[in-house]
This record gives sequence, C-alpha cells and structure tokens, in this order.
Amino acid sequence: MAKAPPIEPMEQFLIHKWIPGPSFDLGGVHFDMSITNSVASMIAGAIILMAFFALTARGQIVPNRGQALAESLYNIVDRVLVTPIIGPHGRPYIPYLFTLFSVILVLNLMGVLLSFGHLFGQTWSFTVTSQLAITATLAVLTFFSIFFLGFIKHGPKFLGLFFPSGMGVIGATLMAPIEMISYFVRPITLAMRLFGNMLGGHVVMNLFGSFVVALGLMALTGGIASLAIVPSALSFGMIVALSGLELVVAVLQAFVFVALATVYLNEVVNFGHGH
Amino acid sequence: MAAETQAGTAAEGASGGLPQFDFHWWPGQIAWFLIIFFGVMAFMRFFAVPKVGGTIEAREGKIAGDIADARRMKDEADAQAQAAAVEAAKARAGAQKVAAEARAKAQAEIAARLAQEEAKLAATGAEAEARIAKAREAAMANVAGIAADTAQAIVTKLTGKTASAAELSAAAKG
Repeated sequence: MAKAPPIEPMEQFLIHKWIPGPSFDLGGVHFDMSITNSVASMIAGAIILMAFFALTARGQIVPNRGQALAESLYNIVDRVLVTPIIGPHGRPYIPYLFTLFSVILVLNLMGVLLSFGHLFGQTWSFTVTSQLAITATLAVLTFFSIFFLGFIKHGPKFLGLFFPSGMGVIGATLMAPIEMISYFVRPITLAMRLFGNMLGGHVVMNLFGSFVVALGLMALTGGIASLAIVPSALSFGMIVALSGLELVVAVLQAFVFVALATVYLNEVVNFGHGH
Repeated sequence: MAAETQAGTAAEGASGGLPQFDFHWWPGQIAWFLIIFFGVMAFMRFFAVPKVGGTIEAREGKIAGDIADARRMKDEADAQAQAAAVEAAKARAGAQKVAAEARAKAQAEIAARLAQEEAKLAATGAEAEARIAKAREAAMANVAGIAADTAQAIVTKLTGKTASAAELSAAAKG
C-alpha cells in the first residue's frame, strides 16, 4: 500500500537551482545569478506577457477578442485608476503603473493557473509573487520612486506632506512623527499585503491537496477507514472552491497594489492642490 | 539534484520556517527580477502602451468625429428641407396667382364676347323690326291702291262710267 507523502505546504516556496549561473560579490552582498525555478517563472511570465501584447495589440478600430482583452487591461490602469485619481497629469506614469499591474497580474495568475504540481521529480509551478524578496522589491521600487519624484518635482517643500495644515505650528510638529511613520510604513504594507495573500492561499490549497491524498489512501486500506473517502472528497471540493477564490485574489491583489501606487503618486503629482 | 537538496537544506536551516526568509536567494532573485521588470517596462513603454492606448484614443476620436459628421449632415439636411419647404410655398403662391389671373382674364373675355354678341343680336333685331315696319307700310300703301282699283271696277260695272281718280281715292279713304 502506497504511503502518503509528508504534508509539507511550504515546500512549494522552496527555490531550486535549475541552471547554474555566475555568482559575484558586490558591496558585501553575494549575488547568485543562477537560473532558479523562481527566475525561470519570472522569465516565463515576461514572455507570456510580451507575447500576449505583441499578438493582441493590433490597432484595429473594431477589436477582436484578444485586442478587447488587452484594451480592457489597459483601461483598468488608465480609465479606472490614473485618469479618475490623478487626472491628465498622470499620463506620463501610465507605462510604469501598467507594467506593475500586468507583471503582478501575470505572476499571480501563473501561480494559480499553471499549478502542474510535481512531475518528473521537479516542482513545475512556482508563484513568484509569494516570494517576499519580489513583493518587497516591487514595493520599495514603487514607494521610493514616488517619494523621490516628490522631491524632484517640489524640492524641500515636499516635506510639507508630513505637516498637516490647519493645526498650528505646535500641533503640526507633534503630528509630524506620526505622519512620517504612517507614510514610511507604506512600502512594508504594500509588500506584506501581496506576499501574505499569495502565501496564505497557496498554503491552504496545498494543505487541502495533501488531505485529499492522505485521506484517500487511508480509505483504500478498507474497513472502517473507508469512511475517510468523505473528508477526502470534501477536501477536493474545497480545492475547487479555493481555486476560484484564488483567481479573484490574484486579480484583486494586482489591482490593489496598483491602486495604492496610484493614490501615492497622486499625492506627489497633485501636491498642494488637494491637501 | 545535488544543488537542489543543498538549497533545500540551506532554506530549512536558515530560518526553520518560511523558505521566503532564506536570504541566500534574495540578491540574485531581486537582480533578476529588476532586469526582467525593466525589460518588460521598456516593452510596455515603447510598444504596448502607445499601441493599445493610441488605438483606444483613435477609436474615441473616430467615434466623436463620426457623430459630429452625422450631426453636421443632419443639420444640412434640415436646412435643405426647410429651404425646399419655403420654395414649395412660394411656388404654390405663384401658381395660385397665375390661376387667379387666368380665371379673371377668361371671365373678362367671356363678358366682352357676351356683350358683343348681345349688341349684334340687338342690332339684328332692330334691323328686322325696321324691315317689318317698312313692309307693313308698303303693304298698307298697296291696300289703298287695291281699294281704288276695286272701287273703279265696281263703279264701272255698276254705272258704266269711270270715276275720277280723286273721287276714287276719297272714297277709298272714306
């Protein structure tokens, strides 16, 4: 009788080296540029993304399905976020925000849709956005780009962001540290939100998947243990339901990340107009 | 495979918890991610965004232009219809005037012809009456002659004498 594999919901997040690459030290940091399962997933995601837009951006006045999908994705960033929140001054930032949105979206969706599991001694599915290193990079890159853009556009006046108006000098000075904390916690919340959402859903799905196998194998031993087929089937139903939920989460988290980035960018672009 | 196992043990040894906190892989992953991210961004900046966004704008411009064209054409058609209506009204008025004139002319002609005919009839009537009167007078004159002749004949028959013309005419008038 087959033995149930150990339940290891964290194994899916392990990084494996696929193709050894150069490694070097820079400023005391060791860079291992090997192609890992994580890097391969990123490259696959980038290829999927670029192929999708290369094939669908046909420039027809009457779009076909693919072009309509590409335009809908673009309009999520342009017509739903940037134009209503920032206005016409937000147009130059659309390429960055759209890249952010589509990269997070494709990496999130790959984690849900390309769950081939374990085949030929290798785990094929990998959710890049469940790596804190990646979500933190995205959050830090986005947050500090916006922060420094504020200084480039407005100079030292931009520090006025931390001094709420209409509170007097003492009140504003007292509020400044609180404002600063709430401002600089943004990259952490951005990174943790995406990371946590991707991590949690995948762990739960993996656990239910393990239950299906473990309880199913137990049921095969016969006798009273056959009843274990019921929780096994229930766990399978849970996986089906969670897959749907994870699809929603994958799209929603990409949207939320870009929506927050747009709101933060608005403070910089329209600084002094809406405060 | 060896590298894989080594990575796996390294991950478990690093934190004992989440593999994501195995910082050994962070720099390489971040460097690769940034390269790929900015590659995709260049693609978006120079191809996808201008193409997709440009198409959406072109479509909106086309729709707005078409609607403006349609509105302009409708206005033109309305103006033309109005001009046509004005022209038709003018033509109708003209036609009515011409008809009225023709009617008046015809009636005048009829009246003139009627008067002419009546005058001609009256003249013919008067002439006929004159002729009748003359004929009657002539007839009456003949009657006196006939009476005298008759009296002559009677006198001659009765008396055997012929009466004078003066006597005869006095007797005839008698």
